[in-house]
Amino acid sequence: MRNVTEGCVADAATGVRLATRSDESDLRELTSLAVQGDRTAIESLLGHLRPMVVRYCRARLGRVSGQYHIADDVAQEVCIAVLSALPRYRDMGRPFASFVFGIASHKVADALRSSVRSAVPTQDLPDGPDEGPGPEETVVRYIEAQHARDLLARLPDTQRELLILRVVSGLSAEETGNVLGMSPGAVRVAQHRALARLRQLAELESIA
Amino acid sequence: MTTKRRRRVRHPRSYGDADLEGDVTRTDAVLDALARREPVGGTDAAVRLLGALIADVDSQRLSSVSITPST
Repeated sequence: MRNVTEGCVADAATGVRLATRSDESDLRELTSLAVQGDRTAIESLLGHLRPMVVRYCRARLGRVSGQYHIADDVAQEVCIAVLSALPRYRDMGRPFASFVFGIASHKVADALRSSVRSAVPTQDLPDGPDEGPGPEETVVRYIEAQHARDLLARLPDTQRELLILRVVSGLSAEETGNVLGMSPGAVRVAQHRALARLRQLAELESIA
Repeated sequence: MTTKRRRRVRHPRSYGDADLEGDVTRTDAVLDALARREPVGGTDAAVRLLGALIADVDSQRLSSVSITPST
Protein backbone atom coordinates (compact mmCIF):
# COMPACT_ATOMS: atom_id res chain seq x y z
CA MET A 1 0.00 0.00 0.00
CA ARG A 2 1.32 3.41 -0.89
CA ASN A 3 1.63 6.11 1.74
CA VAL A 4 1.98 9.78 1.04
CA THR A 5 3.31 11.63 4.04
CA GLU A 6 4.95 15.02 4.25
CA GLY A 7 5.82 15.20 0.60
CA CYS A 8 7.32 11.74 0.48
CA VAL A 9 5.91 8.85 -1.48
CA ALA A 10 6.69 5.57 0.20
CA ASP A 11 5.66 1.97 -0.07
CA ALA A 12 4.83 0.43 3.27
CA ALA A 13 5.98 -3.06 2.30
CA THR A 14 9.31 -2.35 0.65
CA GLY A 15 10.24 1.07 1.93
CA VAL A 16 10.93 2.17 -1.64
CA ARG A 17 10.40 5.85 -2.00
CA LEU A 18 10.61 8.55 -4.59
CA ALA A 19 11.68 11.90 -3.29
CA THR A 20 9.51 14.92 -3.86
CA ARG A 21 10.58 18.56 -3.77
CA SER A 22 9.87 19.13 -0.06
CA ASP A 23 11.47 15.79 0.76
CA GLU A 24 14.59 17.01 -1.04
CA SER A 25 14.78 20.18 1.10
CA ASP A 26 14.29 18.06 4.26
CA LEU A 27 17.21 15.91 3.13
CA ARG A 28 19.34 18.98 2.53
CA GLU A 29 18.65 20.16 6.07
CA LEU A 30 19.33 16.69 7.44
CA THR A 31 22.62 16.58 5.52
CA SER A 32 23.63 19.97 6.89
CA LEU A 33 23.02 18.78 10.46
CA ALA A 34 24.84 15.51 9.78
CA VAL A 35 27.89 17.35 8.44
CA GLN A 36 27.97 19.32 11.68
CA GLY A 37 28.17 16.03 13.57
CA ASP A 38 24.57 15.67 14.79
CA ARG A 39 24.37 11.94 15.55
CA THR A 40 20.59 11.70 15.15
CA ALA A 41 20.82 13.42 11.77
CA ILE A 42 23.64 11.07 10.69
CA GLU A 43 21.56 8.04 11.62
CA SER A 44 18.46 9.38 9.85
CA LEU A 45 20.46 10.28 6.76
CA LEU A 46 22.11 6.88 6.46
CA GLY A 47 18.82 5.17 7.30
CA HIS A 48 17.31 6.99 4.35
CA LEU A 49 20.15 6.31 1.89
CA ARG A 50 21.24 2.81 2.91
CA PRO A 51 18.38 0.80 1.34
CA MET A 52 18.96 2.58 -1.98
CA VAL A 53 22.70 1.86 -1.80
CA VAL A 54 22.08 -1.82 -0.96
CA ARG A 55 19.73 -2.19 -3.92
CA TYR A 56 22.21 -0.46 -6.22
CA CYS A 57 25.08 -2.74 -5.13
CA ARG A 58 22.92 -5.86 -5.40
CA ALA A 59 21.74 -4.91 -8.88
CA ARG A 60 25.29 -4.22 -10.07
CA LEU A 61 27.13 -7.09 -8.38
CA GLY A 62 24.52 -9.83 -8.27
CA ARG A 63 24.63 -12.94 -6.11
CA VAL A 64 27.61 -15.11 -5.33
CA SER A 65 26.73 -18.70 -4.39
CA GLY A 66 23.10 -17.66 -4.28
CA GLN A 67 23.69 -14.93 -1.70
CA TYR A 68 24.15 -11.18 -1.71
CA HIS A 69 27.03 -11.20 0.81
CA ILE A 70 29.54 -9.50 -1.49
CA ALA A 71 27.07 -6.84 -2.64
CA ASP A 72 25.93 -6.19 0.93
CA ASP A 73 29.55 -5.94 2.11
CA VAL A 74 30.24 -3.37 -0.61
CA ALA A 75 27.10 -1.46 0.44
CA GLN A 76 28.43 -1.45 3.99
CA GLU A 77 31.79 -0.15 2.75
CA VAL A 78 29.95 2.63 0.93
CA CYS A 79 28.09 3.60 4.11
CA ILE A 80 31.33 3.62 6.10
CA ALA A 81 33.08 5.69 3.39
CA VAL A 82 30.18 8.16 3.43
CA LEU A 83 30.37 8.33 7.20
CA SER A 84 34.12 8.99 7.08
CA ALA A 85 33.83 11.63 4.37
CA LEU A 86 30.90 13.40 6.01
CA PRO A 87 32.95 15.99 7.97
CA ARG A 88 34.71 17.03 4.74
CA TYR A 89 31.49 17.19 2.69
CA ARG A 90 30.65 20.64 1.29
CA ASP A 91 27.22 21.36 -0.14
CA MET A 92 27.83 22.54 -3.70
CA GLY A 93 24.15 22.69 -4.57
CA ARG A 94 23.81 19.06 -5.59
CA PRO A 95 21.82 16.59 -3.50
CA PHE A 96 23.71 14.44 -1.03
CA ALA A 97 22.53 11.35 -2.92
CA SER A 98 24.78 12.26 -5.85
CA PHE A 99 27.78 12.27 -3.49
CA VAL A 100 26.73 8.89 -2.05
CA PHE A 101 26.15 7.22 -5.41
CA GLY A 102 29.44 8.62 -6.68
CA ILE A 103 31.16 6.69 -3.88
CA ALA A 104 28.94 3.65 -4.50
CA SER A 105 29.81 3.61 -8.19
CA HIS A 106 33.57 3.58 -7.42
CA LYS A 107 33.22 0.90 -4.75
CA VAL A 108 31.24 -1.32 -7.14
CA ALA A 109 33.85 -0.80 -9.86
CA ASP A 110 36.58 -1.81 -7.36
CA ALA A 111 34.61 -4.91 -6.39
CA LEU A 112 34.09 -5.87 -10.02
CA ARG A 113 37.82 -5.55 -10.67
CA SER A 114 38.61 -7.70 -7.70
CA SER A 115 38.37 -11.39 -8.48
CA VAL A 116 38.60 -12.47 -4.86
CA ARG A 117 35.20 -14.00 -4.49
CA SER A 118 36.06 -17.34 -3.00
CA ALA A 119 35.37 -17.03 0.70
CA VAL A 120 31.63 -16.80 1.01
CA PRO A 121 30.24 -16.88 4.54
CA THR A 122 27.04 -18.86 4.97
CA GLN A 123 24.06 -17.81 6.98
CA ASP A 124 22.94 -19.70 10.05
CA LEU A 125 20.35 -22.32 9.24
CA PRO A 126 16.86 -20.95 9.90
CA ASP A 127 15.02 -22.77 12.67
CA GLY A 128 11.55 -21.78 11.48
CA PRO A 129 9.49 -22.41 8.36
CA ASP A 130 10.69 -20.64 5.23
CA GLU A 131 7.89 -18.32 4.13
CA GLY A 132 9.70 -17.24 0.95
CA PRO A 133 8.97 -18.51 -2.54
CA GLY A 134 9.55 -22.20 -3.32
CA PRO A 135 12.73 -23.54 -4.95
CA GLU A 136 11.27 -23.55 -8.47
CA GLU A 137 10.12 -19.94 -8.25
CA THR A 138 13.42 -18.94 -6.67
CA VAL A 139 15.41 -20.52 -9.51
CA VAL A 140 13.23 -18.93 -12.21
CA ARG A 141 13.55 -15.53 -10.55
CA TYR A 142 17.30 -15.95 -10.17
CA ILE A 143 17.75 -16.89 -13.84
CA GLU A 144 15.62 -13.96 -15.04
CA ALA A 145 17.44 -11.52 -12.77
CA GLN A 146 20.80 -12.77 -14.00
CA HIS A 147 19.58 -12.44 -17.59
CA ALA A 148 18.59 -8.83 -16.80
CA ARG A 149 22.07 -8.15 -15.37
CA ASP A 150 23.76 -9.69 -18.42
CA LEU A 151 21.75 -7.51 -20.80
CA LEU A 152 22.21 -4.40 -18.66
CA ALA A 153 25.97 -5.03 -18.76
CA ARG A 154 25.79 -4.72 -22.54
CA LEU A 155 24.26 -1.24 -22.40
CA PRO A 156 26.48 1.86 -22.46
CA ASP A 157 27.62 2.76 -18.91
CA THR A 158 25.35 5.79 -18.54
CA GLN A 159 22.26 3.92 -19.73
CA ARG A 160 22.96 1.04 -17.34
CA GLU A 161 23.59 3.37 -14.37
CA LEU A 162 20.49 5.33 -15.23
CA LEU A 163 18.16 2.31 -15.26
CA ILE A 164 19.62 0.85 -12.06
CA LEU A 165 19.47 4.13 -10.12
CA ARG A 166 16.04 5.00 -11.42
CA VAL A 167 14.32 1.63 -11.13
CA VAL A 168 16.23 -0.57 -8.68
CA SER A 169 17.45 2.09 -6.23
CA GLY A 170 14.17 3.96 -6.69
CA LEU A 171 15.56 7.46 -7.30
CA SER A 172 13.35 10.05 -8.97
CA ALA A 173 14.28 11.45 -12.41
CA GLU A 174 15.53 14.60 -10.63
CA GLU A 175 17.75 12.66 -8.20
CA THR A 176 19.05 10.39 -10.96
CA GLY A 177 19.90 13.48 -13.00
CA ASN A 178 21.81 14.95 -10.08
CA VAL A 179 23.85 11.77 -9.69
CA LEU A 180 24.66 11.54 -13.40
CA GLY A 181 24.96 15.26 -14.10
CA MET A 182 21.91 15.43 -16.34
CA SER A 183 18.74 17.50 -16.32
CA PRO A 184 15.50 15.66 -15.38
CA GLY A 185 14.31 16.11 -18.98
CA ALA A 186 17.51 14.54 -20.32
CA VAL A 187 17.08 11.65 -17.86
CA ARG A 188 13.56 11.00 -19.14
CA VAL A 189 14.68 10.91 -22.77
CA ALA A 190 17.78 8.84 -21.97
CA GLN A 191 15.84 6.30 -19.90
CA HIS A 192 13.37 5.91 -22.77
CA ARG A 193 16.28 5.15 -25.11
CA ALA A 194 17.88 2.83 -22.57
CA LEU A 195 14.67 0.84 -22.15
CA ALA A 196 14.28 0.63 -25.94
CA ARG A 197 17.85 -0.67 -26.23
CA LEU A 198 17.26 -3.22 -23.47
CA ARG A 199 14.08 -4.37 -25.22
CA GLN A 200 15.98 -4.70 -28.49
CA LEU A 201 18.70 -6.79 -26.83
CA ALA A 202 16.10 -9.02 -25.17
CA GLU A 203 14.30 -9.54 -28.46
CA LEU A 204 17.54 -10.32 -30.31
CA GLU A 205 18.39 -12.91 -27.67
CA SER A 206 14.99 -14.53 -27.91
CA ILE A 207 15.39 -14.89 -31.70
CA ALA A 208 18.94 -16.30 -31.50
CA MET B 1 19.47 37.79 -53.23
CA THR B 2 16.86 35.29 -52.45
CA THR B 3 17.40 32.24 -50.39
CA LYS B 4 15.55 29.09 -51.04
CA ARG B 5 14.21 27.40 -48.01
CA ARG B 6 13.65 23.76 -48.22
CA ARG B 7 10.31 23.02 -46.74
CA ARG B 8 10.23 19.89 -44.70
CA VAL B 9 7.28 17.80 -45.66
CA ARG B 10 6.13 15.58 -42.90
CA HIS B 11 3.91 12.66 -43.62
CA PRO B 12 0.74 13.12 -41.60
CA ARG B 13 1.12 9.71 -39.97
CA SER B 14 4.89 9.73 -39.50
CA TYR B 15 6.49 9.50 -36.06
CA GLY B 16 6.90 13.06 -34.82
CA ASP B 17 7.96 15.07 -31.77
CA ALA B 18 4.56 14.67 -30.13
CA ASP B 19 4.77 10.89 -30.48
CA LEU B 20 8.25 10.84 -28.98
CA GLU B 21 7.11 13.04 -26.10
CA GLY B 22 4.18 10.71 -25.48
CA ASP B 23 6.44 7.65 -25.52
CA VAL B 24 8.94 9.32 -23.17
CA THR B 25 6.13 10.19 -20.74
CA ARG B 26 4.75 6.65 -20.88
CA THR B 27 8.20 5.16 -20.25
CA ASP B 28 8.67 7.53 -17.30
CA ALA B 29 5.34 6.41 -15.82
CA VAL B 30 6.27 2.73 -16.21
CA LEU B 31 9.69 3.24 -14.62
CA ASP B 32 8.11 5.23 -11.78
CA ALA B 33 5.73 2.34 -11.15
CA LEU B 34 8.61 -0.17 -11.16
CA ALA B 35 10.60 2.08 -8.79
CA ARG B 36 7.62 2.16 -6.41
CA ARG B 37 7.31 -1.62 -6.68
CA GLU B 38 3.84 -1.35 -8.16
CA PRO B 39 2.66 -4.12 -10.50
CA VAL B 40 3.26 -3.29 -14.14
CA GLY B 41 1.29 -5.31 -16.67
CA GLY B 42 1.95 -5.83 -20.35
CA THR B 43 4.25 -7.97 -22.39
CA ASP B 44 7.26 -5.67 -22.68
CA ALA B 45 10.36 -7.90 -22.40
CA ALA B 46 12.53 -5.07 -21.00
CA VAL B 47 10.01 -4.21 -18.28
CA ARG B 48 9.65 -7.90 -17.38
CA LEU B 49 13.44 -8.23 -17.01
CA LEU B 50 13.69 -5.13 -14.83
CA GLY B 51 10.82 -6.46 -12.74
CA ALA B 52 12.68 -9.74 -12.26
CA LEU B 53 15.84 -7.90 -11.23
CA ILE B 54 13.91 -5.80 -8.70
CA ALA B 55 12.20 -8.90 -7.26
CA ASP B 56 15.56 -10.61 -6.88
CA VAL B 57 17.27 -7.59 -5.30
CA ASP B 58 14.39 -7.10 -2.85
CA SER B 59 14.08 -10.80 -2.02
CA GLN B 60 16.66 -10.74 0.77
CA ARG B 61 16.33 -8.49 3.77
CA LEU B 62 17.89 -5.10 3.15
CA SER B 63 18.39 -4.53 6.85
CA SER B 64 21.14 -7.15 6.99
CA VAL B 65 23.67 -4.41 6.27
CA SER B 66 25.04 -2.77 9.37
CA ILE B 67 26.58 0.69 9.34
CA THR B 68 28.57 0.05 12.48
CA PRO B 69 32.20 -0.37 11.47
CA SER B 70 33.63 -3.65 12.64
CA THR B 71 36.88 -3.62 14.58
